[in-house]
Amino acid sequence: MTVVGRLADFPEGTHRIVTVDGREVGVFNIGGRLYGLLNRCAHQGGPLCAARRTTGTLVADADSGWQPRWALEGEVVACPWHGLEYHVPTGRCLAFPEIALRRYDVVVHGDDVVVSPASSHRPPAASGR
Amino acid sequence: MAERTPLSELLIVDADVHVHESPGALAPYCDPPWDVALRSVADVPERYLDIPGFSPGGDGTLTARFPTSHEATRMVHTPEQMVSELHQIGVDLAVLFPDHLLKLAVLPQADYAAALARAYNAWLIEEWTSRHTALLAAIVACPQDPEDAAREIERHADRAVAVYLPCAGLDPLWGHRSYDPIYDAAQNAGLPVLLHAVTVTSPVFPFNNHGFDTEFARHSTSHTFSVMANVISMVSTGVVVRFPRLRIGVTEAGISWMPFVCNRLDKEYLERRREVPFLTERPSHYVKRIYVATQPIEEPERLRDIVTLMALYDGDDTTVFASDWPHHDFDHPMKLDMVPLSPEQRAKVFGENALALFGIDREGRRA
Repeated sequence: MTVVGRLADFPEGTHRIVTVDGREVGVFNIGGRLYGLLNRCAHQGGPLCAARRTTGTLVADADSGWQPRWALEGEVVACPWHGLEYHVPTGRCLAFPEIALRRYDVVVHGDDVVVSPASSHRPPAASGR
Repeated sequence: MAERTPLSELLIVDADVHVHESPGALAPYCDPPWDVALRSVADVPERYLDIPGFSPGGDGTLTARFPTSHEATRMVHTPEQMVSELHQIGVDLAVLFPDHLLKLAVLPQADYAAALARAYNAWLIEEWTSRHTALLAAIVACPQDPEDAAREIERHADRAVAVYLPCAGLDPLWGHRSYDPIYDAAQNAGLPVLLHAVTVTSPVFPFNNHGFDTEFARHSTSHTFSVMANVISMVSTGVVVRFPRLRIGVTEAGISWMPFVCNRLDKEYLERRREVPFLTERPSHYVKRIYVATQPIEEPERLRDIVTLMALYDGDDTTVFASDWPHHDFDHPMKLDMVPLSPEQRAKVFGENALALFGIDREGRRA
C-alpha cells in the first residue's frame, strides 16, 4: 500500500501518474471514483497514462443499426504513441478484448489516496461496450 | 505409411470455370430494347473478351502482339464440351462463371447492365446447369442495379449455388452500403457471394493501371489488388458483421494476398478501431472466414511455401480448388496436387471445403 497523494490532488475528470513499488501507475478520477492502471501500453510499451485526457469513444452494434455512437464518455484512454484504446474502469483494451492491463486498487483513507496492486488484474467480464 | 489416395478417386470441386456467352446467344433471353443491341453485335468479329458494347477493351490489346502457340483464347461453348473437358482434368463438379460478363461492372448504362445480367442468369440455368448435374450456377449480381440483383437472387435461389460479384472496373467497391440488398438476398437464400475480377484498364481504383508497360504487370495486379480492395472494403464497412450468415468467397487471385490483408488490417485496427466500431473481433478473424480459391496458385521455388501460406491464414477449412478452365492461366489439379498437403488438407481443399462453401452434397445438390 502506497500513499500517493491527497484527494485534492486528483480532481474529478483528471488523472496523473504516480509511483507504486517502483512502477508507474496512472490514477484516474472518473465520476468521483478512483481507478489505477499500469502506465504501460500492452502494444509497444508506450506511456499510456501520459495521455492528456480521457475521452469517450465510438461504438456500434445492431441496436444502433450498426451506426456509430459516442459512448463511455470520460472512461477511455488512448495511448499517446499509437492510439490503442483502453476502458479505464476495467483495464480492457477496446480493439483486442483479450488484452487487459494490470489494474490497481485506489482507495481514500481519510484524506490520503492509497494505491495497492489489485487482487486480480483481470477485469470483470462485462466491459460496458 | 498409408497409401495416398489417387487424385482420380478424390472428390474434386472446381470453384471457377468459364462458359462462353456470346451476344447472339443471350439475345433471346434479353428484355427489349437491349436484345436489339445484342443482335446488332452478334456478328462482330470477336477478339478475346473484347466486343464493343458488350465486353469493351480486351486484355492484352495494349501490348505488341507476336505470333505464339499459347492457346490463350480457349473458350467453352456448350455444356457437353464443358463436361468433357472437365472430365479430362478430373473435375467432378464445377461452378460456372461467364467470360464477357467478367466486365459487366464497367458498362455505364445501368439498365443495360441489369438486362444483361438477367439474360445471362436465365441462359446459364436454361442452357447449362439444368442440362448437366456436374455444372453449377453462379448467377451474376449486377452492381449497377442492386435492387434488381436482389430480385434475381430471389428468382433463381433454388437453381444456383452462388452469387458472382463482378469486380473489374467496379465503382464503388463491394463494401458500399448500396449493395446491402444483394447481401441480404444472398444471405436469405443461403447462397455465398464470390468475388471475381479480370484485367481491365480503367480510371476506377485499383484498375487505374496505366502506369504499367506490360500485361505481365497488369495481370500480376488486377485480380489481386481488386480482391484485396473489395475484401478490405467489406470489412471496413461492416458487411462481415451486418450479414453474419453470409458466406464470402474469392476467386482467381491466388492465396498469398490473404496473410498480407490479415496482418495489415490488424495493424491498422489497433490505431483506428473507432472507424470500424462494429467489429467485435480483430479484422483478421473476419478475413479468415472468407473462402479462397487456389487459382492461379502461386508457384514458388519451394512448393511447401503454399502450405506455409495456408497456415498463415488458418486456411485448412477455407481454401478451395479452382481451375479457371479454359482460360489462359488455368490450373490443372495436378499442379495443386504437387503441393505437400496432408491427406486431410488435400481432401478438404480439392472438394470438401467447397461443399461447405456452396452448401451442396457430393452430387452437387443443394443441402
